[in-house]
Amino acid sequence: MSLLRAWSTLFMLSFRRLLWSVNTMMILFPLTGCALFLLRRRYQSITRFPRAFDLFSHEFVLVMFASFIVPVCALAYATTSIGGDREDRTLLFLLVRPVPRALIFLAKFTATLPLVLGLVMGSFYVYCRLAGPVGQLAMQIYQPAIFCMTLAYVALFHLFAVSFRYATILALVYSLFMEFFLGNMPGIIKRLAVNYYGRSLIYDVGVAHGVQPPSSQLFDPVPAQTAMWTLLLIAAVGTLAGLIVFQRREYRDLT
Amino acid sequence: MNLTFSHVTKFYGPVIGVNDVCCTIGPGITALFGANGAGKSTLMKLASGQLRPSQGDVRIGTLRAWSSRAKRHVGFCPDLNRFYEEMSGREFVYVMARLSGYSAREANRRTDDALEEVGMTARGNRKLAGCSHGMRQRIKLAQAMVHDPSILLLDEPTSGIDPGGRHDISELLARLAQRGKTILVSTHILREVESLANSILMVSAGRLIASGTLAEIRNLLDSQPFTVRIVTDDPRRLAALLVEVPVVQSIQLRLDTLLVRTINPAYFFSELGNLVRQHGIEVRHLETLDTGAGAVFDYLQEDAA
Repeated sequence: MSLLRAWSTLFMLSFRRLLWSVNTMMILFPLTGCALFLLRRRYQSITRFPRAFDLFSHEFVLVMFASFIVPVCALAYATTSIGGDREDRTLLFLLVRPVPRALIFLAKFTATLPLVLGLVMGSFYVYCRLAGPVGQLAMQIYQPAIFCMTLAYVALFHLFAVSFRYATILALVYSLFMEFFLGNMPGIIKRLAVNYYGRSLIYDVGVAHGVQPPSSQLFDPVPAQTAMWTLLLIAAVGTLAGLIVFQRREYRDLT
Repeated sequence: MNLTFSHVTKFYGPVIGVNDVCCTIGPGITALFGANGAGKSTLMKLASGQLRPSQGDVRIGTLRAWSSRAKRHVGFCPDLNRFYEEMSGREFVYVMARLSGYSAREANRRTDDALEEVGMTARGNRKLAGCSHGMRQRIKLAQAMVHDPSILLLDEPTSGIDPGGRHDISELLARLAQRGKTILVSTHILREVESLANSILMVSAGRLIASGTLAEIRNLLDSQPFTVRIVTDDPRRLAALLVEVPVVQSIQLRLDTLLVRTINPAYFFSELGNLVRQHGIEVRHLETLDTGAGAVFDYLQEDAA
């Protein structure tokens, strides 16, 4: 008997179930909405490139994609990879198998990650192609920020999933309200939001291409290095905390 | 391999689920019997490593039940009726075998064996969503057996199964017990307890109130009266004779039938035999009315209260 075989089976099972879940259908609606927005907005028709890039960065990348699509894609899959099994009570069948709980968590996490990253990075590529030249530049310079934000959200929502009974609702409330409010609060409190570090990264690389950051009173970004390391740290700590919680937690309501 | 509960107590917040349970369950079929909320499910969850005891220790052989290594030796058939509904029964059992760490070839072989054991070979490819309750029960049993565990924990395994199916499952469990498996069956069906299990654990209000064979448990209850029904041609004469027997508590006369309550059945039956022989009284029918698991359980519950 091999743990690696058990892990790979669970990885494939989780990936397949997430991919063919109703979440994939649901997530297509906002993704299609974004595509329709880009087709209607027509950034390629704006003659001044820096102005077009500034608008694209603010309206689409920061507001629509980084603040909405990335967390929504992450929560759609990250909260249901374990939370879905818990809701369906099929998690029981995994917990009574001779697989360490840490390995179950890691299999679920690693099955979610390529799916969310693929969806986020893939859709970002498509949107950038739809946006024309401004999109091509955005694709080049914003990729690391989008990638790190996705990692952080996936880890954070996995932690939600193992910690809370109704993780999807909580994650939705968190990403749509808490992230929005915290990220736009004056002062240091906005540093609690994942979104803040993503925006810091985006502004850092965008400024050189004409993106105008908000006034420093409203938004005081951290340096790009700090932002990136913080996002990676959130991803690492979120994963580790989720793993520890899952390893120790009793799920009494499974039977 | 033994399943051992050592002074196990489990709290759910301020509520106590099981209270200082001590017992060792060895090879053979043991029934876990108790009313709803008595603590059966908690004991099952503790044994299958879903819960950790608040106090005490649950061990599978020498391993703690919570550990993943212990789960190699345990097969659990839950009471809940939930699956990966999009899968076929065969696919579900196969995935469970793969999750136990077997190669694809070995998992296939074990899946075939498990499905054959539960009588689902021909119907294994049907989608679980379209399976009857009985078929789903059999698939649950198959997934519990697929990694050939030494200990099987079966939570209401025959619920929703037709009488023929129950018979098949009883036979299967008897076969597994003969192979030296330790089988703990949680049930509320008295006939099942009496016909299936070698020994019984009776739980009430989170406490283990009795353990052993049904006869052993009944023998512990000398203080509790037996009711014996005697059908005879001369009930008045027999009643007059039985009144003199010191262990008889009461006698009710109904046409040709006597209902006798006695506190020492062994002595009573010996005296009854002597009396009917000496006085030439014909006894047409003789039966004890409350040696069943239900009556024993009721007595024990009263005692525990």
